[in-house]
Amino acid sequence: MLSILLIIPFFGATLLLLWPGLPAPGRMRVVAIVVLLLQLAWSLRVLFAFDSSDGGMQLQESLVWVSSIGLDYKLGIDGLSLPLVLMNAALTLVSIVCTRDISQRPRIYFSLLLLISGAVNGVFLAGNLLLFFFFYELELVPLWLLISIWGGAQRAYAATKFLIFTAVSGVLILGAFLGLALFTGTVDFSITPVLSEKLAMGQQLLLLGALLIGFGIKIPLVPFHTWLPDAHTQASTPVSVLLAGVLLKMGTYGLLRFCLGMFPEAWVLIAPWLAGWAAVSVLYGSLAAIAQRDMKRMVAYSSVGHMGYILLAAAAATPLSLLGAVFQMISHGLISALLFLLVGVVYRKTGTRDLEVLRGLLNPERGLPFIGTLMILGVMASAGLPGMAGFISEFLVFRGSLEAFPLATLLCMVGSGLTAVYFLLLVNRAFFGRMAITPPGDPVADARLDIRLAAVAPRETITATALAITVIAIGLFPAWLGRISETASTTMAGLPALLAALQNSGVS
Amino acid sequence: MPIISADLTHAGGMPTAAELEAKLLAGQTLLAETPNHLMQVVDVLESYGEVLDAYSKNLIYQAEKQFLNPLPIFRYLDGDLSPAKIWRHLIHDRLNFEYAEYCQKAMFWHGTGGLDAYLDSDAFAANCAAIIGRKTRRDPMLALLHPLFPNFLQELIRSAATTHALGQFWRVMSDLFLDLARAEKDGQLSTVAAVVDFLRQGLVAAAAEPISYGVELAGERFWVLPPEAGLTFLADVAVPYVEAVFLRGMPFLGTVSFNAQAQQISPDQSTFTYGALFADPLPSMGAGIPPSLLMQDMYRHLPKRLHQWYLQTSRGEGDVRVKICLSFQKSMFCVTNAAIAGTFPFQLDNPDADAQAANRAYAASWAARLSSSRTDCLDPCDL
Repeated sequence: MLSILLIIPFFGATLLLLWPGLPAPGRMRVVAIVVLLLQLAWSLRVLFAFDSSDGGMQLQESLVWVSSIGLDYKLGIDGLSLPLVLMNAALTLVSIVCTRDISQRPRIYFSLLLLISGAVNGVFLAGNLLLFFFFYELELVPLWLLISIWGGAQRAYAATKFLIFTAVSGVLILGAFLGLALFTGTVDFSITPVLSEKLAMGQQLLLLGALLIGFGIKIPLVPFHTWLPDAHTQASTPVSVLLAGVLLKMGTYGLLRFCLGMFPEAWVLIAPWLAGWAAVSVLYGSLAAIAQRDMKRMVAYSSVGHMGYILLAAAAATPLSLLGAVFQMISHGLISALLFLLVGVVYRKTGTRDLEVLRGLLNPERGLPFIGTLMILGVMASAGLPGMAGFISEFLVFRGSLEAFPLATLLCMVGSGLTAVYFLLLVNRAFFGRMAITPPGDPVADARLDIRLAAVAPRETITATALAITVIAIGLFPAWLGRISETASTTMAGLPALLAALQNSGVS
Repeated sequence: MPIISADLTHAGGMPTAAELEAKLLAGQTLLAETPNHLMQVVDVLESYGEVLDAYSKNLIYQAEKQFLNPLPIFRYLDGDLSPAKIWRHLIHDRLNFEYAEYCQKAMFWHGTGGLDAYLDSDAFAANCAAIIGRKTRRDPMLALLHPLFPNFLQELIRSAATTHALGQFWRVMSDLFLDLARAEKDGQLSTVAAVVDFLRQGLVAAAAEPISYGVELAGERFWVLPPEAGLTFLADVAVPYVEAVFLRGMPFLGTVSFNAQAQQISPDQSTFTYGALFADPLPSMGAGIPPSLLMQDMYRHLPKRLHQWYLQTSRGEGDVRVKICLSFQKSMFCVTNAAIAGTFPFQLDNPDADAQAANRAYAASWAARLSSSRTDCLDPCDL
């Protein structure tokens, strides 16, 4: 059943690449949308087949592949990966639906998006470390191409930076996996907790450190974050949606699945440091966002801040905080995708994202009132206002982490407040006041400038509206998502070794 | 950061005071002479004429039939209390008579010209005393209010007098604008200059029309503005109206953004520049902004020709109120142009040096005020 989730996108990508003749870009888009609708439908079928009361891997598939090096084709899904698989299908669909006027190499463009979607599914479903690494690396080159071919003016710089950072991330992760084999003396790459009787604590810390930096680059956490704002700024809107919505989640998924899941003893030892790292990341990301004048960079830095909450939740490793981490992954994916979509519309209509230039876009007659409305909703969700997904996730993370790491949690709460600061700056500058898209100069002359922006067609807002509705739906009815992940997060937090370690260290 | 595309912005010209003065003295129109401008001005004035007709009837109804009614909740219904009319009122299928009241309040507050002077005269106070004496005899609520607040009823009568005077002014202007539209359809007008001249002639013809206002209480007629006060259309109502509504206006939250504590609003109301000729056509998000109310009302009566043209420009129906406002400002410059042309102290072709100096001074004073108004709409543009 799970293999279908890989076959559909990979088959779609191959189909588009081998499509005879020179089909119109619109037709390719339709084919890609159909493929992704199938993927989404199959993901929903997996959801219905999923038993939420079981905290372990389900619907497992196994096939011996290259057993001599420990690479087996093993797939499985649990309450941590299922929501991410669903979000991957949905956000790839969103990114293709919002792709318009693609004139340059449409065949390759849509194939690469499908390839990324398949690889991301592989990452979330892999039951073998090497298989995980294979898919983790598989998405790298397509994304590099998507930025470097269809990106902005500085795309070559941003794409190369992304490639170098993420390649280093891959090397560290592979090194940790191979190191595990080296230290244990086996070629068993199945995902099981490594305990003291197998490895000394020093060895565990070494491997965990490599994984932390590897996934820290991908998430990204300060100070490994510098590739992200550049990549977002230069990437096109659909690629930004995928990057923020899905691809960053591979890092946080790896953090929970491999760092916490495989090295629970070492994890407990360094958890206080990780909580501090989370607070630094949150505060740095938030403060950096305040300083931005490019809307897209501001949203990108907000991602850096919001990813820190997941590290905090993982460091605390309580059932509630881990559930909050899953919620945060989903809510951040949806909200940041929504914000990038809206920034993309603003950029398409005005030709700029400069907050020193844009003014009054909420103007009801000549501005972008519906986009402004959705933007206000998006920033409210991101700032964690009740009734929306951001509130649920942040509340769960903070509530679950407060007792374990009160200071780090309080600092992260400050970061949550700073979210309101920078997003209110964004909304206030770009959407309120007298409409203008020119730097303020002569007040009399500027007040007379007639602004002529093309109207936003309803079809341009379908995806953003759907995301906004989902954000509110999760905020109002969080139980359906909680039901999927609760058992898994409780199981993860309740690993016997972890519990024992927690008791020994006196933390309850 | 990419450079903003030039085709996203349009900046109309801002003629200097000297340029405006030269045009006024040369008898040229302020608005550029184009066929499209002619169509916009004539059609928007036609819709304005239709709206003013309704405003005028309602203001006169309010002044006569809702006189000294402290709670006039049915004042917009023109006396028709049928369920259908009330239902249309409740679902807002009606004109925004609030805009007419806003103009009345602006006139009343700025208080310039002969009408305002008469409202502070002894003769007016005597009229008020007689009216209040009769009214309080049968109305226990007013009988209670009057001793408690002795100035209240007199102030209500002043307000009613302004309301009635504005109703009479708009009656004339409505007929003038509708006549203008008919004349253009009949082929009598084919240029903006001819439109301005038509308006000038209309204003001059109505200049001396008397303004009077009386009410009937218990079968007896009382004068509020008696004919012997000598109030006339142009000097006592039209000029104060232009001063209050076209030029000064009132700073509404939403129309302009201001900080009163920082003295961003002048304490001297004679220097106010928030009138129709200064209004920003782009609504800046305030709800219920009076100029927007007028645009909505004109939209209900928009001639087909102008509506069709609006549909072909910029966002079509999406920003139609902004386009109506731009056309409306063009037409209001024509009306102002006509009013200035009709009130020069001397004929423009008078060879006498003193007459020319007086005309120059008159033109210069207008040009100075208009130079900071929305003169950017005077150039031809596709909205």
